Amino acid sequence: MPDRASSAPTPERPTLDHETLALLARATALAKYPLARLISLVEREDDDGRSRRAALFRYLRDHEAQYQPRGRVIGVTGTPGAGKSSLIGRVVLECLAADARLRVAVLAIDPTSPSSGGALLGDRLRTQFPVCEPRVFFRSQATQGDLGGMGRRTFAVTRLLRCLFDLVFVETVGIGQSEIEVTRVADLVVLVMQPLAGDHVQFLKAGIMEVPDVFVINKCDEEALARRSAHELRAALAYANIEHPGGNSLRIFQTSAVSGRGIPELAAFLRSDAVRPFGRLGRHAQELYFLRKAIAERWGRFGVEEAERALNAVPPAIRDAATYEELEDLVMTAVARRVR
Amino acid sequence: MTTRLAHRLYDAEGRPTRDQPWIFRTYAGHTNVKASNALYRANLARGQTGLSIAFDLPTQCGYSSDHPLALPEIGKVGVPVNSIDDFEILFQEIPIDQINTSMTINATAMWLLALYVALAEQRGVDTTALQGTTQNDVIKEYLARGTYIFPPKHSMRLIVDMYEYCLHAIPRWNASNVCSYHLQEAGATPQQELAFALANAIGLLEAIRARGTFSHQEFERCVGRVSFFCNAGIRFIEEMCKLRAFTEMWDEITRERFGVQTAKYRLFRYGVQVNSLGLTEEQPENNAWRILLEALGVTLSRRARCRALQLPTWNEALSLPRPWDQQWSLRLQQILAYETDLLEYPDLFDGSPVIASKVAELKEAAYAELRKIDEMGGTLEAIESGYMKAELVRSQAERLARLNSGETIVVGRNRWTDGLPSPLLAGEDRGVFKVDPASAAETLDLLRATRARRSQLEVEAALRRLRDDAVAGRNLMPASIAAAKARVTTGEWAQTLREVFGEYRPATGVEGQQLPLAGARVEAVRARTAAWAAVHGGRPRMVVGKPGLDGHSNGSEMIAVAAKHAGFDVVYGGIRMTPAEIVQSAVEEDAAVLGLSVLSGSHVEVARMVLDELDRHGAREAIPVVLGGIVPESDMGTLRALGIRAIFTPRDFDLMAVMDRILDVIGAPKGEVPGEVRPEPARVARA
Repeated sequence: MPDRASSAPTPERPTLDHETLALLARATALAKYPLARLISLVEREDDDGRSRRAALFRYLRDHEAQYQPRGRVIGVTGTPGAGKSSLIGRVVLECLAADARLRVAVLAIDPTSPSSGGALLGDRLRTQFPVCEPRVFFRSQATQGDLGGMGRRTFAVTRLLRCLFDLVFVETVGIGQSEIEVTRVADLVVLVMQPLAGDHVQFLKAGIMEVPDVFVINKCDEEALARRSAHELRAALAYANIEHPGGNSLRIFQTSAVSGRGIPELAAFLRSDAVRPFGRLGRHAQELYFLRKAIAERWGRFGVEEAERALNAVPPAIRDAATYEELEDLVMTAVARRVR
Repeated sequence: MTTRLAHRLYDAEGRPTRDQPWIFRTYAGHTNVKASNALYRANLARGQTGLSIAFDLPTQCGYSSDHPLALPEIGKVGVPVNSIDDFEILFQEIPIDQINTSMTINATAMWLLALYVALAEQRGVDTTALQGTTQNDVIKEYLARGTYIFPPKHSMRLIVDMYEYCLHAIPRWNASNVCSYHLQEAGATPQQELAFALANAIGLLEAIRARGTFSHQEFERCVGRVSFFCNAGIRFIEEMCKLRAFTEMWDEITRERFGVQTAKYRLFRYGVQVNSLGLTEEQPENNAWRILLEALGVTLSRRARCRALQLPTWNEALSLPRPWDQQWSLRLQQILAYETDLLEYPDLFDGSPVIASKVAELKEAAYAELRKIDEMGGTLEAIESGYMKAELVRSQAERLARLNSGETIVVGRNRWTDGLPSPLLAGEDRGVFKVDPASAAETLDLLRATRARRSQLEVEAALRRLRDDAVAGRNLMPASIAAAKARVTTGEWAQTLREVFGEYRPATGVEGQQLPLAGARVEAVRARTAAWAAVHGGRPRMVVGKPGLDGHSNGSEMIAVAAKHAGFDVVYGGIRMTPAEIVQSAVEEDAAVLGLSVLSGSHVEVARMVLDELDRHGAREAIPVVLGGIVPESDMGTLRALGIRAIFTPRDFDLMAVMDRILDVIGAPKGEVPGEVRPEPARVARA
């Protein structure tokens, strides 16, 4: 790596241990248990986990030809009753059937109970994937107290899954802060609603309507109901003067996970070029968001200012070549030094 | 002209008389049709007056015995029935024109009735002579028992088809039984039992009325044919009041909501099995007393007396009963009916201000709940939204919390737990019935023979007709009867309809549940979980599921809620998972522990299949497996040798103790309790 004179220290480059390398090789071949263990590794909060994770992502970056992060992350949000899980299930199966080479992963997030620290991860049951299909992988994740409903762990796992899968669905908790946070990891945000349930009123109030790229009215088993719902949604969006980011046209799909209506269309759209990796928020911008968040959690606002100073001092080439873990390590060290 | 005495019963002519006893039933059936036939004939000879047929899980869930899901379950919890040939053997030398036959069958009720009708026609028996019941209550299956197949709308259609058919063809047949029994077993309070069962019945009557093919007179007769299957728990005074409340509410509802004029059609007719949930594995002989007291709840009050009584046996919490156990329970009924003077009196409680007050209180609460369900849009809506199920899970969690905290006393379980060993358990079979594993082969042979002797053309034609009628919305009984005659199998009938109606997955009711348990013990368990998390860099994940066809999910639901309460991340898989599915969940989630719940007796086969599947994934050593269910002592060694790391039975009612053992299995550090300090008992949290 070019070594320019700068005040920013070059991040350390740990080597990947044999065990993790073996897991990676088998995970790449879509063996489920090695992949599951790799994901657990990436989720770990302890020191050993952190260093192995840093080594892993450095390895993936160094072997970018094989591990290109070309997977597209689709964030799926919406109220609990909208049928997100079964819809995702149907859409994924449709995608797999339509393209024999496609690999899809689903990461479903559920809230951790503040009193017990435990969580009920209930999305898997509703999604119902077939057994022993290596091209699809389902993983549940608890928020573990992360206020946005999505945190470092979700970000880290999506970064890993981008390198191994073509499509990565991230299913969030439900209405609230997580609806906004999912935009930080997703290349496309899908909001799933029930017909005529008045959801859009709630969403308007929470400022959420500006966020999604795609609106899906699910449970459209009945034609008249479906038409009215779509009409109501368009009216609500027009009323709120919602222009889509980037000026893309508004996309509304009407689906029924039960009858299958609208599923092929939605699946085709999600596989199309309209969805690009980092198409919404660039890689740097994503990293910046989570860096700020990590620093703020540890050092508060002061820390964030200091971290940004440190980050800006890093030469662009190094910035580009660094993994998120290396950047995090760098700014944490810089801030810690200043605090002392 | 004699004056009537208030304490005597009089017949229509004014002569003193005595009531006829209720029907004595024993819920029975196991292994295969030949063994069950022998059992039924013996029970009838011993004085039983009606049959209550238990079918095995594959039959209940619409699978033929040779289906992969069916293989470990053949004959375990009831008799396997694949075709009319099986029914021929099951009812050999039993006069079906004279016997009252109750079939505990739900999703496949139409099929079993079709088989019964086909058998009758084959024997030259006039179908109008047939008497009996098909349980046919799919609502409670969604809530508490798990043997459903199709979505609610289509299931209701099948039930109404049967009412329509039976009205003229089998007028003395109860096409369905609205069941409150299972709701109590799932933890329902008396108020919930009343409200949910009546909501179920109201939904049924509305569906029947909506069919639009009955005249008002015919509709009234349908209403008259609706009967109930209730539960009676150990708080037998309250239970008796509950049944009196049922009687009053049913009369009111049928009159006011459905305009039924004829008084006799508004009668609340019910059969009952007394509570099994409260029977203990510890000091099981105590269960005999419990059963006796519970039987009083449903017989003492003449106004609310059951029409038929099924008693569990003293060893119900250990396994399937043996013939002697069933005989002992039957004798209780006979002594009560024939040796006592109970049946000589009019109602003993009419006019009692105490009873009247309690009944009024129960009715008020039940009507309030019914209004809530009405506002929600009715029973089907309350089912599909998951409301009813969530309410039941909540009641169960509260009940268990009270048991764990000692607020509710169960003798031998959380008080007076030191007892002398029971001589009843000392026999060679250790007081437990074991299904002969070789007997499944006989069933499979019969099935093969049936397939061989039937006409494939006839079968295909029958299935085509069934599918066409299903799609066209025609009554499916005629096509089902024709299929029965053509020797179509259970699996074929169900699969044809699955393809038309689809399969259903209801809400688990587990999400958002809290366990109202707090205190030092809970904190200690949570601390252990947190310690494990600190070492491993994340919370332990537990996958809980029920492999196989058993749908009694209370236990697994409570474990899921308890594990979350203890600080685990829980992936709850629900019921009817194949071993491959449940293992895939454990593998993909990188579970710290996999929990299996099996109550159908197939635990050894299931454990073996799960462990082999884990092996295939290379996860057998890494993911420990624990198992909960009805497991007799004699199987524990086998399970441990296979590699099951902990086994839980009904004895293990203390949820935090269960979590402690699971934490041991995953290697969580023990709590820092110096010496032999006894932890303080968990107390119920007051929210």
